[in-house]
Amino acid sequence: MGQAAVVDPELLKAGQGNGKKILILTTLASSYPGANAVGQARLSYSPDTYIFRVPDPVMFPDDFYLQCFDKGFGGILVMSSGSDCPYEGAYQRLSARIARVYLKMKEKGISTRRLKLTTICTVCRAAFLKEIAEMRKAVAGE
Amino acid sequence: MNGTGRPGDNQLGESTGDVRVGVYVCHCGGNISDVVDVKALAGLMAEYPHVAVAKEYPFMCSDPGQEIILEDIRANRVNRVVVASCSPTLHETTFRRALQRGGLNPYLYEHVNIREQVSWVHKDDHAAATRKALALVRAGVEKATRLDPLEALRVKAERRVAVIGGGPAGMSAALALAGAGLPVDLFEKGPALGGRLLEMGRVFPTGEEATALARRLAEDVAAQGSIRVHLGGEITRVDGYVGNFEVRVEEGGSQARVKAGALVLATGFDHYLPGAGEFGSGDAARVATLPEFQKALGSLPAGKVLRWRGREIRHLAFLHCVGSRQAEGLNPPQADGKVNDYCSRVCCTAALHAASQVLDRFPGTQVYDCHKDIRTYGRGHEAYYEDAAKKGALFFRYAEDALPEYLPASGLLPARLKFRDVLTWMEEVEVPADLLVLATGVVPRAIKGLVESLKLPVGADRFLQEAHPKLRPVEVANNGIFLAGTCQAPMTLDEACAAAGAAAAKAAQLLSQAEISLDPFVVELKAERCTGCGKCLEECSYSGALKLVDRPLAGLGATPPGPEGLSAAVIAVNEALCKGCGACVAVCEPRALELAGWHLDQFEAMAGAIAAS
Repeated sequence: MGQAAVVDPELLKAGQGNGKKILILTTLASSYPGANAVGQARLSYSPDTYIFRVPDPVMFPDDFYLQCFDKGFGGILVMSSGSDCPYEGAYQRLSARIARVYLKMKEKGISTRRLKLTTICTVCRAAFLKEIAEMRKAVAGE
Repeated sequence: MNGTGRPGDNQLGESTGDVRVGVYVCHCGGNISDVVDVKALAGLMAEYPHVAVAKEYPFMCSDPGQEIILEDIRANRVNRVVVASCSPTLHETTFRRALQRGGLNPYLYEHVNIREQVSWVHKDDHAAATRKALALVRAGVEKATRLDPLEALRVKAERRVAVIGGGPAGMSAALALAGAGLPVDLFEKGPALGGRLLEMGRVFPTGEEATALARRLAEDVAAQGSIRVHLGGEITRVDGYVGNFEVRVEEGGSQARVKAGALVLATGFDHYLPGAGEFGSGDAARVATLPEFQKALGSLPAGKVLRWRGREIRHLAFLHCVGSRQAEGLNPPQADGKVNDYCSRVCCTAALHAASQVLDRFPGTQVYDCHKDIRTYGRGHEAYYEDAAKKGALFFRYAEDALPEYLPASGLLPARLKFRDVLTWMEEVEVPADLLVLATGVVPRAIKGLVESLKLPVGADRFLQEAHPKLRPVEVANNGIFLAGTCQAPMTLDEACAAAGAAAAKAAQLLSQAEISLDPFVVELKAERCTGCGKCLEECSYSGALKLVDRPLAGLGATPPGPEGLSAAVIAVNEALCKGCGACVAVCEPRALELAGWHLDQFEAMAGAIAAS
């Protein structure tokens, strides 16, 4: 055990501000354990990233994404289980849903680069980091 | 322990009634607290709405750590718990059980991961890590305040298992289940038990005659009074759900229905069949597949030189990876447009086993082994490689970017296999092949009817897909269905029987009680909100999980209640058939359908808390 971290309270009260936060939707079966694998390897990525775990992101309606952008999220990464998805037809449905969200984003003038559907497995550490880095660039470019 | 909460002062705010959240931040012995300022985190969380108490402790998962939670449930009337610690995959169950011991519903619990996803990945920026942890814990509290108590689903179960497939894996599973005291129905579509064993020669690693092994297993099955064997029947349909499956089988012109609480699928595999002309395939006198060769080899009398279909075989070549580890652009695609890019795992050892037998029994036959790699990965399997090499087999490693070419016999020239050899720095080599044995791979068996009727998940490689190789091995996402052997992936006989044992153990555990307890994370219905639009039916992949039914308006729970005598079409959920993917939730605009434990409003509130941080 090292020295306990002590952070200036003012830095915490200030909050994180701006709209550069990235929301990451992960699956219980694949990408959430994949995100854990990144931590287990002590790799680093941007702290402006917030991971939700769900059985499958197919549960989120189109409006959920738009509301997240309205709330101030800079980008959303949907890390699905892809072909490893244990739920019949869920990946295809999710893919179709994201395509519909893209259309709605265009209508609202939101850059479609701020939303990405990808596939991350339980050991996809490099791919996980790459997706975050790319989304960081997309968000920074807004 | 450091307590920054104020017992008895729950700061509930105005809306959610008597919700009192306890927040517990774990140091994880420094893994978290070296990076995240846990004292500041607990202090700030104590001021957050609905939080009755917020504390930090070196090891929340320890007995004293859990005791802190129990004490707060008792003394401070905490009725929702948020623990910020390691990954929920490690200790979510630990803390759910703690809640249960404290008399709380175990699902009134939210786990926030601030180790793998905060302190371990942001170790160089303590302020940013602490800010992120704070936002995540706030989101956890938002979710916790919206959690409902859940009860595990209880389903009455038929204490009988149907095993589909009477090969070695199916027989092993049936024997293991019978040994566990469960009655079994064993279905084999062929006329006898044994499956692929009936067409093999000797099996590695024991060298036992495959047919003798099949006979021994079949005798063991016959000796078990609790196994009913169905031979030669065609399974026409399988319906139902965990605890209540029904297998319909056509036997001798009549249809039988068998009830079972669990299914073990041991439907086996097929051998890859080379396409016409693929590496000389079709020239039966000079080219054979490894299964054909193995089957014949057992009955060939020993001699100086191997004889095959009346011809002396002085030069015998084995070619590996036929139908396996295929590459797009190099190999022609299969019927579904994909190549078989997986390793079939058994062919290398099987080919070397056969080579070794040839060299033992026919010392005048020279063996050439042409491979992409040798993958004798099983325990003791490398010995076959060493054995064949010591006995004089010559090994070549062909280049991955160019397939070997079969050159038919021409004039005085014998048939040959031509390739570039990696081991001699890409020298072009031609080896004579009086007989070429193609080490053909394993492909999934066509079980379309079963896949469709049970909605079984199929992987990209077309084998049945287990729910998770580490967290839920030999299970599929569909509850009560287990995979035994090569229906799931290429594997050796040992591995197939081990998988069968695992499948049997899981089925036996499932049916160890008269009622099955299921996770409550399935779709739940607020009938009063349902408009009967039916959009959810189009989204649901699981037959029977959702259906439209007529319900009396008066009984739907709407406010004000509907008039007596009138009815409306609303959705009904069969919780045992629902897999909890949530696809239907996304299209239910009135939010009549929600995934228990994973409500949309929880995630909206979580996103709001993070965005506001």
